[in-house]
Amino acid sequence: MQYSRINFHLLFFLIFLTSCSSMNVSQEKVYSEDVRTVQASLSSSEISYDSEAIFANAIIYFEFDKSNLTTKSLQTLKSTVNALEENPAIGLTLSGHADERGTREYNLALGQRRAETVAEYLILNGINKNRIIVKSYGEEIPAMSGQNEKSYAKNRRVEID
Amino acid sequence: MNRVIFLLIFSNILISELILEVTQGTDDPYRVALVTFNGDAKTVNEINSVIRNNLIRSGEFNIFEDDDLLSLPKNENEIIYNDFKILNIDYLVFGEVFIDGNSNSVEYKVFDIKRGTQVRNSTVFGIPNRNRQLAHYVADGIYEEITGIKGISATKILYVTEKDNFNLVISDADGKNEQLLLTSSEPIISPTWSPDSKKVAYVSFETGMAKVYIQDIASGEREIVIENSKQISSPAWSPDGKFLSLTMYQDGNAEIYILNLKNKNLTRLTNHYSIDTESVWSPRGTKIMFTSGRSGSPQLYEINLRKFNSKPKRITFDGNYNAKGSYLPNNEGIVFVHRSKDQFQIALKYFNENFVRTLTNSMMDESPSISPNGNVIVYAVKINGTGMLAGVTLSGAKFILPASEGAVREPSWSSFLR
Repeated sequence: MQYSRINFHLLFFLIFLTSCSSMNVSQEKVYSEDVRTVQASLSSSEISYDSEAIFANAIIYFEFDKSNLTTKSLQTLKSTVNALEENPAIGLTLSGHADERGTREYNLALGQRRAETVAEYLILNGINKNRIIVKSYGEEIPAMSGQNEKSYAKNRRVEID
Repeated sequence: MNRVIFLLIFSNILISELILEVTQGTDDPYRVALVTFNGDAKTVNEINSVIRNNLIRSGEFNIFEDDDLLSLPKNENEIIYNDFKILNIDYLVFGEVFIDGNSNSVEYKVFDIKRGTQVRNSTVFGIPNRNRQLAHYVADGIYEEITGIKGISATKILYVTEKDNFNLVISDADGKNEQLLLTSSEPIISPTWSPDSKKVAYVSFETGMAKVYIQDIASGEREIVIENSKQISSPAWSPDGKFLSLTMYQDGNAEIYILNLKNKNLTRLTNHYSIDTESVWSPRGTKIMFTSGRSGSPQLYEINLRKFNSKPKRITFDGNYNAKGSYLPNNEGIVFVHRSKDQFQIALKYFNENFVRTLTNSMMDESPSISPNGNVIVYAVKINGTGMLAGVTLSGAKFILPASEGAVREPSWSSFLR
């Protein structure tokens, strides 16, 4: 009799403890962290024109956050147009790039805009748009490394090849 | 063409491990006594040091260890409160590590010294050989008990590293325990977690053009979300995980679309001749914020998804470069990249304030990502030309996570993993 009363008190005390306002009692299990590594398969889907494209190769440069063509760029593009007219079989890829300042996705879009500007000029000058692939690498593949205006100017470009 | 690739190598390839340095703490940290736990000395040592480092990294604690203390209680009866009061200690923590086969567990208790009472008694159960994980959970419990805010030690960070190859990597929030998700000879950008943190989305150039992929972390299974001939970029998951907002270049220009992941239906969200990209969802999924060049320079805009045909509303006005925004989890403000005096810095704007708070001060800070408790922002910095990760807490503490080798960038914080 005495024994069970003590037990009862103990139980009551335990209930009091666990319901007692401020104390946090918890149990948890940690998260599983299984990971599998993937090797990117480099099955390039683009068509390569490398061997024939030498005549039209050129690099067009741009101002910061700008995608309009400069007078010098127009001269370069004129000779590209000539080369393309003389070699109607070749196609070309326009890869737009940006310098590393600013955000990566905005720079990807900016590189694309620059490449599109060059494509528009070529199309306007009679080049069939089916000969042109337009894409951007944003700031991901700089032509020149370094945090200075000289590098930045080299990196704001469209590569024609 | 629905390309699903099952793969390959298991991921115990350790790359450049990040090393954490706290560069600045908060002004008035909590003073916490962390008595060495009972149990197997080697395991206890590992667990205690991870707990200590996690608490210190938050910038909100001064940790007192055995050598700093006057008495070392191992159970409630042994606590002499005055020994801690004299040292102005606010909280006392001790515990015990139980080794059961390969799976360990930790029981720990937290005492409020001023009130002279126990405030927490918790047990965490581990999985085999994951003592760091176990310690992160204990640290989070202690953090939550003392600050009232959920801890983030047991969360993960996703980021891109570059050294010979481009790598997509996840690590614990302290930069340790790196695991390789993807390796490629072509750039990887814009990694982001699914809301349940079981999958990641990212942009890979492996086909020669930017494309968005979704990859299951545990299985390595992955797919290109949309197959077409144009580039696709900037993925962001809706909070319910059912949609992905994307930047598509269908008509040559960057425009934002929403992809229904179940039926692959696409809804166009923007239509403007300038750049629209970097979309993110508000915490409740009712708004989308994005960067647009429509005013002549990059600025942040919002579209209300609840209103039919809602027009984008400009929300940043200070300076001529405000980009890559994200919402605070409580929806009280936004964090973004802000240019001032030709420096790119991480900035915070609360919706109920009319000014921008600059949080960082180096030259080229970018890619801010907010911890799930809303308290810490991890971002990318360039130090001596090398990319590193850095962090700043809203209470003002700062830390950096430099890699031992290679460049690190574009951090993305997971959700709570429980």
